[in-house]
Amino acid sequence: MTTIALSTDTELRYPPGDLVIWIFILAELGVFALLFAAYAFTRLQHVEMFNHFQHTLNQDAALINTLALITSSYFVVRAVAAIRENYARVCTYWLLAAMAMGMLFLVIKSLEFIHHYSLGVTLHSNTFYMFYLFLTFFHFMHVIMGMIILAAVAIKAACGGYTATEYTGVETGASYWHMVDLVWLILFPLVYVMR
Amino acid sequence: MEKRLFIGFRYCTWVWLSMMILTLATRLAGNTGLSGLSLSLTVLGIALIKGHLIGDYFMGLRRLRGFWRWPVTLWLTIPGGLVATAFILAAQS
Repeated sequence: MTTIALSTDTELRYPPGDLVIWIFILAELGVFALLFAAYAFTRLQHVEMFNHFQHTLNQDAALINTLALITSSYFVVRAVAAIRENYARVCTYWLLAAMAMGMLFLVIKSLEFIHHYSLGVTLHSNTFYMFYLFLTFFHFMHVIMGMIILAAVAIKAACGGYTATEYTGVETGASYWHMVDLVWLILFPLVYVMR
Repeated sequence: MEKRLFIGFRYCTWVWLSMMILTLATRLAGNTGLSGLSLSLTVLGIALIKGHLIGDYFMGLRRLRGFWRWPVTLWLTIPGGLVATAFILAAQS
């Protein structure tokens, strides 16, 4: 009974997954926090320019991307729930579904980048586009990293590498993916909607 | 005993649906006749609520005690506060 109480206490003290990924997540969140604040305070000096060029962005594409990332995060939650019940194959399917949503995000965001590039928009075009391209491309790279992590976890799950008693890797990958989603949830309104 | 601590996925399904609706509300807010600052603070508030839902339910931080309970909350609060301050100052200038 004492043993159960201690293990319960440990569960409550530490976040799911490997603690190292959480230190990494905090570092990543710190960088994005600085970038968000830099965007907002730089805008303070160029309000009209930011508002004008914000209208050139595709809000519908960003909306679909937001829905895709939220849904992918939910699928990852289902994957973790499945492996806790020892359903490794179901866990794999949920992870693949999450990756499909992630791929949808990457395709739509790539089309946006191609569209802007075809119009001659670069980091040097103006301050707004500098922030827009840097923030969204930086996040884009994190989505790719998250996809790689989810793929590795899915392969290991498909090979029977996780069980109901040992699934730290699934939670670790899930935590990183939720961080990617979390960042986009702030980035979407900040860059696309707030004016 | 251990499973009781986990946040069930059925509960997370409602959280997911709530976030989908809040996201659509954000997009619709962009199409309304709200003034600049009202729109900005409304959608920022919605984003912060969604962030809390991700942290508490999807990341599972709601069941934690101690240090690890708070980083995501602080991450949302501090940059959220700075962004809100910058937009309020921009509206006043």
